[in-house]
Amino acid sequence: MSTTWLPCGKYHETYTQDHAWWQTTFIRGKMIALFAVLFVGIPLLADDYGLSICNNVGYTVLGALGVQLLIGYCGQITLGHAAFLAVGAYTSTLMILEFPWPQALLDWGLAYPISILVAAVVAGIWSVFFGLPSAKVKGFYLILTTMAAQFITVDFIITQYVSQIGGRGQAFSLPVGTIKVGPWVIDSDLKVYFMMLVLSIFLIAVMVNLLRSRVGRAWVAIRDNDISASVMGINVFGYKLLAFFVAGFIGGIAGAFWISNLAAISPEHFPWSWSLWLVGVILIGGVGSIHGTVFGSIFMVVVIEALQLVIMQFVDTSWGSRLFMDFLFIKEAAFGLVICAFMIFEPNGIAYRWWQAKNYFNLWPFSY
Amino acid sequence: MELFFMTLTTGIMVGGIYALVALGWVLIYKCSGVLNLAMGEMTLIGAYVSLSFYSMGVPFLLALLISLIIGFILGILTERIFLDRLIGEPVLTVIMVTVGLSFFFKGCVELIWGTDTRVFSPPVFPLEPFRLGPLYIGQVYLWSFIAAMILLLVFVSFFKYTRWGLAMQATADDEMAALSLGVSARFVYAAAWAIAFMAAGVGGTLLGNINGLNISVGYLGLLVLPAVVLGGLNSVPGAIVGGIAIGILQNFSGAYLDQYFPGGVKEVAPFAFMAVFLLFKPYGLWGWERIERV
Repeated sequence: MSTTWLPCGKYHETYTQDHAWWQTTFIRGKMIALFAVLFVGIPLLADDYGLSICNNVGYTVLGALGVQLLIGYCGQITLGHAAFLAVGAYTSTLMILEFPWPQALLDWGLAYPISILVAAVVAGIWSVFFGLPSAKVKGFYLILTTMAAQFITVDFIITQYVSQIGGRGQAFSLPVGTIKVGPWVIDSDLKVYFMMLVLSIFLIAVMVNLLRSRVGRAWVAIRDNDISASVMGINVFGYKLLAFFVAGFIGGIAGAFWISNLAAISPEHFPWSWSLWLVGVILIGGVGSIHGTVFGSIFMVVVIEALQLVIMQFVDTSWGSRLFMDFLFIKEAAFGLVICAFMIFEPNGIAYRWWQAKNYFNLWPFSY
Repeated sequence: MELFFMTLTTGIMVGGIYALVALGWVLIYKCSGVLNLAMGEMTLIGAYVSLSFYSMGVPFLLALLISLIIGFILGILTERIFLDRLIGEPVLTVIMVTVGLSFFFKGCVELIWGTDTRVFSPPVFPLEPFRLGPLYIGQVYLWSFIAAMILLLVFVSFFKYTRWGLAMQATADDEMAALSLGVSARFVYAAAWAIAFMAAGVGGTLLGNINGLNISVGYLGLLVLPAVVLGGLNSVPGAIVGGIAIGILQNFSGAYLDQYFPGGVKEVAPFAFMAVFLLFKPYGLWGWERIERV
């Protein structure tokens, strides 16, 4: 997807304008309105249920960003991203629970932020380790090695070994009050929401800036044709590993963020189907588009919630209650059908329609 | 030493079932170029169908036959409804459609049959082990292996000697040339899916006889991926050898590595092996090497 055109009759006159984030007054107004809705409107109006849906969307966005980077911008198909989320979540949890923090850091509420950073780096390195095969293999074979990453990391190392640390059994529960950012103890949906918002806006900004730099252009070149890219003098392997590192880094942050919303974490929170789910989200939203990541996340979370609400209406009838009990399975089946439908009828995803609509209005009345 | 031979025979016998499922996978890939990640769920559907009929009192062979017929119909339907429109789309699109299918199938299976483990009762195969020299082999394993081998023979000879099988081979070799000689590619794709569904169903039924049937049998269906990578993605003999090799590898790691890495080493070993193997021989033992041009 290429850039959006400027409205009729507007031209850039300086490079500063060309590089600006918000290029026209209309866009600036639109974005400020969006920020107002996100930071003021939703917290004021939404109840806990609404906020929890927003948090789910945010977590999906954070998780899918790394997948979008790998698949959409670097062309490295990954089906094991939940492993890196799991590494991030477990690193952060273990640091909070086991690390002998100095009292000063605990008082200032720096323990959790530091653990997020460490978790991100650890997940990034772990991701690079499983990105090493990308030197020799690509396409379907790379899919298989990333699948192996999922099974080795979550089903073997974390379930069998990491979960045994400290003798807590399968689930690690976090005592109330240990998740503290600065002066705030993250203990309500609202606080999780603000944390999610800050993290996702920050990471999206980082991604967008990265993608319009030399690094991002190198990734796109590798995606479009890796042989041509190497002929042009791009260090293909190095940039692939960098993509794996950044994707793992973002995944680690996502996982470490999500423990603030979970009272206890266990390997079941990061199954293989969650990896597939994240890939599905970016395919529905649109591959190779940051908008697409957000749209796909909103679409999937909202569709599943709506489905649940519809079934809740019939919970009094006998078949309705059975469907409600089995909702997890309906969710899986519905997700599968939605992916198939999007791949067959709308392979460019939601972001493509969004882009078309924007261009239609920008070029109006001369849309040819 | 006894343990060694016991593990080896069990591995070969279970590997025979994997080989059957892997054959179906390779057939789809060879004929239509679709990399199918829904194989595990296809084994589940076939297994549950035959189990339901068997629990209703239908004789086992008849139940197996019914599951073959239903697998045939489902295979053709799947190809017609979902895969037919995707010819020529990028790899990721096609793979994700099969992932979508796997979610859909899995959801349906869980919805219809639930998640509890079910067993074939009364047991299909006698429980007392079969004696071969100093070795004891469970009759389930032996008969499953024999059944898998018979079906493998049937499928391979279908592929080699019948007119339809030859049409499928021609399409796999060079689609354009086959089309110009009057082979219907759409028929071939549908046939490949039907055969894969049938093979997966039989494989699932046999696996369900060994350990009981629940959703995790679908995970065993995923083991075909290491098997086909080992043999080479587009090689039928490779799939058979790969399936048996993965069965052996899995049982050996379960028997010998479990004391060093307690827990699920049996499930993970094939995937770990596959990741390492890919580094050295990405095209498998007998796969075609593709030379890429810009």
